[in-house]
Parts: sequence; structure tokens; C-alpha cells
Amino acid sequence: MASSTTPISPTPPSLALPPSQFARLQPHAYLLAHLSPPPASNQPSVRANGRATSQFRVTSANAGSLTHTNGSAVVRIGDTAAVCGVRAEILHTKDIASWSVLQASSEQNFDKSNDVGVSESQDEEDRGHIQDLDLLVPNLSLSTGCAPGFTPGAPPSALAQSLSHQILSLLHTTRLVRADDLRIWYQPPNLDSEEFRNAGEGMDVDTEQSEDPEREIKAFWVLYIDVMIISLAGNPFDAAWASVLAALRDTKLPKAWWDADNETILCSDNVADARKLSLRGLPIASSFCSFEGDAAAGWRAVVIPDAEEQKQKKGAQQRWILADPDGYEEGLSQERASLVVDKENGKTVIVKMEKHGGWTVDSDDLRQLVDVSAQRWDEMKRILDQC
Amino acid sequence: MRDRLQTRYQVQAQLRRPIKERPAHEKSQRETTLLLPTLRTLKKLPNFYLSIVNMVGPIASLSQLNRADGSASYKCPATGYSILGAVNAPIELPARRDALKPEEATVEVFVKPGTTTAGVGERHVEGILRSVLGKIVLGREKGFPRRGVVLTLAIVGGENVERGDSANLSQYLTILPALLHAGLLAMVSASVPLSMTFSATLLGVTKSGDIVRDLSPTAAKAAVSLHVFAVSSKNHLLLNESEGRFDFDTWELVRERALSVCQGETAASADGDVTMGEGTASASLNGFIRETVEDQVYSDYAFKLDSI
Repeated sequence: MASSTTPISPTPPSLALPPSQFARLQPHAYLLAHLSPPPASNQPSVRANGRATSQFRVTSANAGSLTHTNGSAVVRIGDTAAVCGVRAEILHTKDIASWSVLQASSEQNFDKSNDVGVSESQDEEDRGHIQDLDLLVPNLSLSTGCAPGFTPGAPPSALAQSLSHQILSLLHTTRLVRADDLRIWYQPPNLDSEEFRNAGEGMDVDTEQSEDPEREIKAFWVLYIDVMIISLAGNPFDAAWASVLAALRDTKLPKAWWDADNETILCSDNVADARKLSLRGLPIASSFCSFEGDAAAGWRAVVIPDAEEQKQKKGAQQRWILADPDGYEEGLSQERASLVVDKENGKTVIVKMEKHGGWTVDSDDLRQLVDVSAQRWDEMKRILDQC
Repeated sequence: MRDRLQTRYQVQAQLRRPIKERPAHEKSQRETTLLLPTLRTLKKLPNFYLSIVNMVGPIASLSQLNRADGSASYKCPATGYSILGAVNAPIELPARRDALKPEEATVEVFVKPGTTTAGVGERHVEGILRSVLGKIVLGREKGFPRRGVVLTLAIVGGENVERGDSANLSQYLTILPALLHAGLLAMVSASVPLSMTFSATLLGVTKSGDIVRDLSPTAAKAAVSLHVFAVSSKNHLLLNESEGRFDFDTWELVRERALSVCQGETAASADGDVTMGEGTASASLNGFIRETVEDQVYSDYAFKLDSI
């Protein structure tokens, strides 16, 4: 007591805390003070981490970091870093219990959709093979000591499981990987060319026509996509998805063929023979969180206004939508929005959009978020093309 | 139609347990404050019984389980899902760490698939449900801070019960509205204080660009994009989960459709009481949630109504 009352420095002891302590003691007030500075101070409204509200963190990506995988990438978004490795393994069709049934049903499908169009039936079959046979197996691990909340070596947390599921679901809905890239064919030597001509009327149109006796699928490549979050500072999904995307773009599958004499699949060890996956589009994820100025807005029941009233009151901005939230901001907001967009010929296509955990973000805001995500797409495309 | 009306009343009669059997926790008092205002609307009962019978909508009932604090069953004929939900609140959580958020109740959600153990898909849905319900539960009311609100949802039936593995992912969007409704009704049944109610719907956009409501799992597979919306009783957008390929204009059309599905043409007056016209109330999902609760209140307070 005595030491603090006898000032050594000429300035009187103040009750002010250093910013770092204030941030820990009053996190909500700290972020709010940054976002709504007093009008007299002439300061711009920035987040506590110095970013503007719709600004993403510095992103870097590096592909081919792991030598023992078929494809790999490290993506770092600010202090969140994700490592992704893609390993390809062979799945023989004779090991698939339901293979004959699947083939029969896909033939039926083909017959039905023949008049609709070839590309459509191909899409359907893609979906069938990749989804039914689980040819893509993503897994995300947070048990790396990436953040204090996750103990290393612990069983996968609910967040890790949820993220794995989201990655798998996105891989399927975007149909990013073509099933054709994952098939290993066997073409028997063409002994009777006349029979070949008679049988294959639809052959030029669709090579995957499984009723064709000449060419058959002998095996599939299964891609094991493992993501390790080695450092977690908020927004794990964007980093994880970007790393999956970069790793798949980097993935090379060796040339594989069915050897009839040995009755096995052989792979060429010649690097020149290996081919890359041809992915469909480039879906980019961007996540947002909504920070409410009024910390009690959620639980003061009587005060919650109707949606219309709320819109009219919006003049005094009471919440901010923060792009790419870091761990500190994520802890202060419950409402999340996540978008995955792709661009086709300059036109933005939304692949996935989700928001939950609150009621402040509505269509007007989501429209803006789509624009922000489209800008982010350009940025990420540049980064991924360079890596 | 008379048959259906009769079965409806029979179901009512089954639900109507003797008042003495009802667990007499502190819940009855709060329930009274929450639900008594709706008694005023009960005089209009004959009207909406008829309108319920006319529509092919979901079927729900409250407080079916005796041991849980609150429970609800929900069946959606369109998608074929049947969900049983139970809520225990407020209870002491053994693994509760006060460091998390001591000033609020923790909302925990467990989803049990019908035929297998829960997998990663269930974890994801649990997370979504937790964030939606956790936001509308008033976890700071008396008796709730530091305690837990535990919601368990069992998928007891459906034309295509989830396989457990993640092969059919879009199924989770098709089942999400049913899970949300069952969860909400179970919460109401357990008298958990809520800041608002909501209703949820699944809409799909087909290849020809039509917006279809309540798709079955097989129809959902053929849809270009699937959208799940939860709209609150005050017209807020509480939840949106959209998958597939679509642009924002399509999304806005779907969102407007979702609003009309959830709210119908009912006009909520200033005091939050729904003014019910002929048949309009039951056309909306919010109206359905409201009527389900009113039915339950009617059977619970039958003794009072009789004495009036």
C-alpha cells in the first residue's frame, strides 16, 4: 500500500490498466471500444487486432511440403495453420462387397437418364461412386496442442468431428473430385475388332458405360485426406478447407493398370506418368462472426424487437460483422455465418451458406457477405495459384 | 373427416392424465406464467380444431415421457421422420467447468440416430442445434446459471433412417427441421424460459427451378440446392443452412417462401397474441407450434376450464 502511494515517477498513479490487461478483464468492452471509438478522437473503427471489419488475415499457402504423400499443403491464415496431406490407396473392386449390385443399379440409372443427357448421368454416377464407396476420407485433427483448450492425444473433440463432417459434406456437394480420376481401368486386348464395333454404340459418348464388356473398372483410388491444425487462433474451417483444396490441387496419382498375368494392380514409378487430379471449380470458404455491441441483447427477453423494428433501428449500428474472426473475437460472439463461393465465368455461385447462433444477420447482410466472399475468392485464387 | 376428428379427440384424451400424476416440481408455477395468457384464446377452440383436421401437417404432442422434465414427440408426414425429444433442466452437470460461462446455463444437445451409434454427422447437427437453442434459452433466469439444459433427441422413425456413416449427407438437412421442432417443443414442455419460439422448414430447388417444400430424402438427392430456414416468432432469421449450387437471388426467393411457410398470414398483434382467422393460423408452422402448446395447456388445465 505504502509503496504504491509514494510515486517514484512524477505522474500520479492512475487507475488505467495497460491494454493487454484490459483485454483480458473486459474483453467485450475492449473490442467494443475499438469498434466504436468516441467521435471526438477521430479514430477509424478498427478491430482490436488492427483489421478493418471485412478484412481477412494475411494468408499464405505452400504446396508439396510433405514428400511421402501424394499431395500436401500448408495453409496459414494469420496464426491459424493447417497442414493437409493426401494419401492415395488402391481399393480393388473385388474387395467391395456390393460392387456387382452397384454396377447393376448404375446401369439402370444410365438407361433412365440416357435421354436427359450424357453429362448428367455422368454426374450422377460420379456422386454414386464417390459417395457410396467413400472414396474420399477426410479427417481433421485438433489434438495437436494447437490451442490451450485441446489437450494433445485426447479423443477427437466435438469441434474436430464437426469440422471433419463439414469438409466431407463440402467435398461431396461441390463434387470437387471427379470419380473418373479415381478409377483404374482394364482394357482387355482387342482380339475381335468386329465385335468391338457392334457392342460399342454408345461407347464414344460415354466411356464409363459399365455394360460395355470390353472395358471394366478394376479398382479405385481412395484418397485419405488428413488435416492437422497445428496452430488454432480462430476460424479453423477456412484454413482447413483451403489446405484441403491446395493439397488436392497438388495431388498426383501414379499411373496404375491391371496386370492380367499377375492379376494385380501395378503402378508406374515414373514421375512423368503420374497425372494430377482435375478438380471441378475452386470453392473458397470464408467465415464471419457477428459481434453485438450490447452484451445483454441476447438474454434480456422483453427487449428483443421484431425483425422489422430492428431493421428500422439499425441507424445506430449495434453490431459488426467481422470477417475471418480470430480466437479472441470468436469467444465474444455467438452468431456465425459461413459461405463457400465459387466463380464461373466471372459469375459468383454460392455452394454453401450457413448462419446460426443469433438473429442479427439477415438477407441484407448476407448479400454483402456474398460480395465480400467473392472478393476473397479472387484473393485466395491468386494465393493458391502461386503456391 | 368425422373419424379423423374423433381420433384427434381420442389422442387428446390419452394425453390428459389425471392432474395428481403430474410431477409437481417448481415447474408448474412458471408454466402458469408462461402459458396462462393463451387460455384467453381457448374459447376459439372449435375453429382451429377444424382447421387442424383439414391440413396434412406435422403431428406433435407434448409431455409424453413421465421421468423427463419435459418431452415432445414430433412426426412429419411429408418427410416421414419421427423424433422423440426429452429435456432435463435445470440440472447439475457433473463435468461442468465454471470457467466456461458461469453466468449462464449450458445447453447440451444429444442426437441419437435410430439404428446406429452417433457419428460425426450427429456431432455437426448437435453443434447447430446447440447454437440455435442456446441462443434463445434465457440461461440467466433464476435457477439456471451454472446449471445445464440437456436435450436428447432420438430419431425413432423415418422412411429412411440414417445409416450412421456419412454417406448420405444431405439427409441431415432433411431431418434438421424435425429435430428443431422436437427440441423446441420439448423445451416448452419442460418450461425452460425462452426468449422466442421459432419454426423451421426445408425447401429445395429442383432442376426446373421450382421451390419445393418438405422434400423426402430421396427427392432431396435430386434437388439442385437444399435450404433449411428457422424463422422466429418475431420474423428473425435464426438459422440458415444452404447446400448445393445457387445464386443469391434464388436464395432470397427461397427465403421469402420460407417466411410465408413459417409465418403464414397470421398477423401478430402488439402484445404477441396471435389473432386467428378462419383456418389461417394452422397453415403456418409457427401457428402449428402454438396450437400444439395450446392443446397441451387445454388438457392440463381442463379442471380449471370445467369449473369456469
